[in-house]
Amino acid sequence: MIKHHPSETLLTQYCSASLSASLSLAISIHVDMCPVCQAKAEKIEASNAETLFSTKLDALEQTTNEELESLNESELNFFDMITADDSIDEVYEVEPVSIKVNEHNYQLPRALTRISHSKFTQVGKLARSRVALDDGALRSSLLHIDAGGEIPEHTHTGFEVTLLLDGEFSDEEGKYVPGDFIWQDGSHQHTPLTKDGCLCFTVVSSALHFNKGFSKLLNPIGNLIY
Amino acid sequence: MIKKHFLIYLNTSRPKIKRFGIKQFGVEAQAMELVQETLTSVWRKAHLYHSDKGAATTWVYTVMRNASFDMLRKMKSNKEENISEDIWPLLNDSQETHHEYSDHLEDKQIKRYLDKLPIAQREVVRGVYFQDMSQEQLAMQLNIPVGTVKSRLRLALQKLRNEMGDQHD
Repeated sequence: MIKHHPSETLLTQYCSASLSASLSLAISIHVDMCPVCQAKAEKIEASNAETLFSTKLDALEQTTNEELESLNESELNFFDMITADDSIDEVYEVEPVSIKVNEHNYQLPRALTRISHSKFTQVGKLARSRVALDDGALRSSLLHIDAGGEIPEHTHTGFEVTLLLDGEFSDEEGKYVPGDFIWQDGSHQHTPLTKDGCLCFTVVSSALHFNKGFSKLLNPIGNLIY
Repeated sequence: MIKKHFLIYLNTSRPKIKRFGIKQFGVEAQAMELVQETLTSVWRKAHLYHSDKGAATTWVYTVMRNASFDMLRKMKSNKEENISEDIWPLLNDSQETHHEYSDHLEDKQIKRYLDKLPIAQREVVRGVYFQDMSQEQLAMQLNIPVGTVKSRLRLALQKLRNEMGDQHD
């Protein structure tokens, strides 16, 4: 069972589009996997909508010709412009996409199927593929760890989000299952380890944070992860 | 959505969308752009909304939220591609159920076989398997006895089975 969720604050920001693209994607993937957060997000959206639009759109049927006639000319022009085009937006279909990392097949989360990611770069048991998001200081990656793999002990000067997509891993805090959303910042220190291997989606804040004397992170593994 | 109703609703929502835009962007010009983006999107995507998915206000809110996300991203990183629908799909439920039937190649193949059937048999197969009609409904629509529907269907399926046999047994 999923035990680690985004905080209420994060979920609320997610629902009102005030998070960066990388974090929004991470939460979107989690929400798809977690019925609890899915229900929460729907509730937040509904209540946001109610707060913003006090008039119920559903009462629409009762509108009368008088109201239509009360629109002034500039309003009419504005609407004529919008409604002049009768074409509709088709919704693209999202076909499931599988990826293969070191002979393991994984299905990509729905949210990532249309966003490109680089080839996997391998160092030891770690393989990383950068997700092409161009999101300022934030970097998103798919991180694959082969069975028995371990990430050397490290802390975070910024923050790191790890979303377990498939497989398992554990650290000092315990064991994680697919869907777990793990937020870590400078106050955490951990040594993730996987027995059977795993695939994660990670979001890491600026590499700048790691330039301050963190020579350890300039080694190949550090570069790979961040 | 009827045009007239749409217009009137949109008029009451304009100041509200603008208020949301000012909160997001802090600039009036961008907030006005959001109003236009949102209303255009609502107009063009109205066919995607179904009342069983919840309140219409919530749906309009999500359309506005998505437009706002894409605009903000464009301002920050000059990115032209919109990814809001990757994050918040507007058609979640139907997409999931769609997957089972999304084998286009197979669909095309089946259509090709169907085209080989006599018209009378083809319309029965279409009605029952593609339009989800009951045999009774179909009989009424085609103005033929239910028994005829049944026998045409049986003949058609037999023929399809022979055609498709080598690949599907």
